Amino acid sequence: MLSTLELSPQSLDADAPVRIAVKNLDFYYGEHKALKNINLDFRDRHVTALIGPSGCGKSTLLRIFNRIYSLYPEQKATGEVLLDGRNVISNDIDVNELRSRIGMVFQKPTPFPMSIYDNVAFGIRLYEKPPKSELDDRIEGALRRAALWDEVKDKLKASGMGLSGGQQQRLCIARTIAQKPEVILFDEPTSALDPISTGKIEDLLEQLKTDFTIVIVTHNMQQAARISQYTAFMYLGEVIEFAATNTIFMNPSKKQTQDYVTGRFG
Amino acid sequence: MTDHIVRSYDAELEGIRRSLAEMGGMSERMLGDSTVALVRRDTTLAQKVISADQRLDNLQRDVEERAVLTIARRQPLANDLRELISAIRIASDIERVGDLAKNIAKRAVAISGQFSPPHRAVVGLEHMSRLVQAQLKDVLDAYASANEQKALEVWHRDGEIDALYTSLFRELLTYMMEDPRNITFCTHLLFCAKNIERIGDHTTNIAETIHYLVTGESLDLNRPKLDTTDINVEAVTGS
Repeated sequence: MLSTLELSPQSLDADAPVRIAVKNLDFYYGEHKALKNINLDFRDRHVTALIGPSGCGKSTLLRIFNRIYSLYPEQKATGEVLLDGRNVISNDIDVNELRSRIGMVFQKPTPFPMSIYDNVAFGIRLYEKPPKSELDDRIEGALRRAALWDEVKDKLKASGMGLSGGQQQRLCIARTIAQKPEVILFDEPTSALDPISTGKIEDLLEQLKTDFTIVIVTHNMQQAARISQYTAFMYLGEVIEFAATNTIFMNPSKKQTQDYVTGRFG
Repeated sequence: MTDHIVRSYDAELEGIRRSLAEMGGMSERMLGDSTVALVRRDTTLAQKVISADQRLDNLQRDVEERAVLTIARRQPLANDLRELISAIRIASDIERVGDLAKNIAKRAVAISGQFSPPHRAVVGLEHMSRLVQAQLKDVLDAYASANEQKALEVWHRDGEIDALYTSLFRELLTYMMEDPRNITFCTHLLFCAKNIERIGDHTTNIAETIHYLVTGESLDLNRPKLDTTDINVEAVTGS
């Protein structure tokens, strides 16, 4: 008999190394404790989805991985988030270097008010100064990987703001992958897009997971079921259940998870 | 079970459950009536069973269409998805039960004017049918109450029916060998017995589906198999 895991459309390698290990993580917005004792393993070259109702802490968790929260003095994280064994929330981490290793794509596309070419070059130039020919190659490569090249190759000097929403989002993905990160965080990347653009991004995620470790926050349950190999269900700052995606969506072990994924929550 | 946030979703699932319950009740009646028609040579009752099958077929199509629509509309997950898949499977099992009962009724009509062997030839068949009717009733109850334990009991009991079929098979062969005039009648009875045995198999299918519905896992066991007629055909005819 096939187990639930073997039936997965996307192959799941249970022996894949852990790229990010979260251990006993707590997070505070001032006095408010937003994450409570989170323990999760994110496996290398797999897509892990974080699901849960608004305010459950999934975006908060994502924002810890690349230290966005450090911008705000009243926000504090304790515990460990180990990226290849190094605790990214410790003070001796170089945040700029960290962010070149952990890229992020947001809900609303955030192209910079500059040309398509410069948008992608921006991420690279932050950390290195490659010669023009190499830069050109890397920009083309990133745009190809983001499945945008064919649509923009004749107008690389045009403004990134002139693209459609779906194209802008793929431009942001190109900008992120041009830096050659190890991990890419997606915070509801398709919630502002139409179904066709959503399909293109999902198709792209499928390709990207061969090279990157991907963590995605999504409110679309079917999307999580389609594209991820692991899913964590969070509620009120806690991880309620973390398992292979097919288990979460076909046969979850916790009643709260079942009620949430079937639309009975609350 | 907690209600869905979207209430029309619950209404859709409830409608499917109701149609399935109606199908279950119909199939039980059809099997009971066809057996009575056969034993009593009641062609009127047999005709009633034959015409009832159309309604059962329609209901099956209806359950299937509504389940497919709900899948398209709601993209169900977890237990909801399993419930809809199970509904489609169970509807098709019940529809087959109806077909087999209808076939028994048709044979009841066919043998109504025939030379008949001793009455005890149909007694065994009647007994077997009663057992299967109980199986069918229990498995449908198990479905209605999502009682996996009860479903498994039905599943295990199927062995008895297979054993009974084997002994009935031998008995009917004996009548045929005793007096060739019995052959037409007994051949029909043999097919009827096979039909009833198959209805028993459908009850075990339904039991397996209930197991999947409740636990989310397929039943990974070998089904009890006590029907040995395949082996014995040669032994009996060769003797």
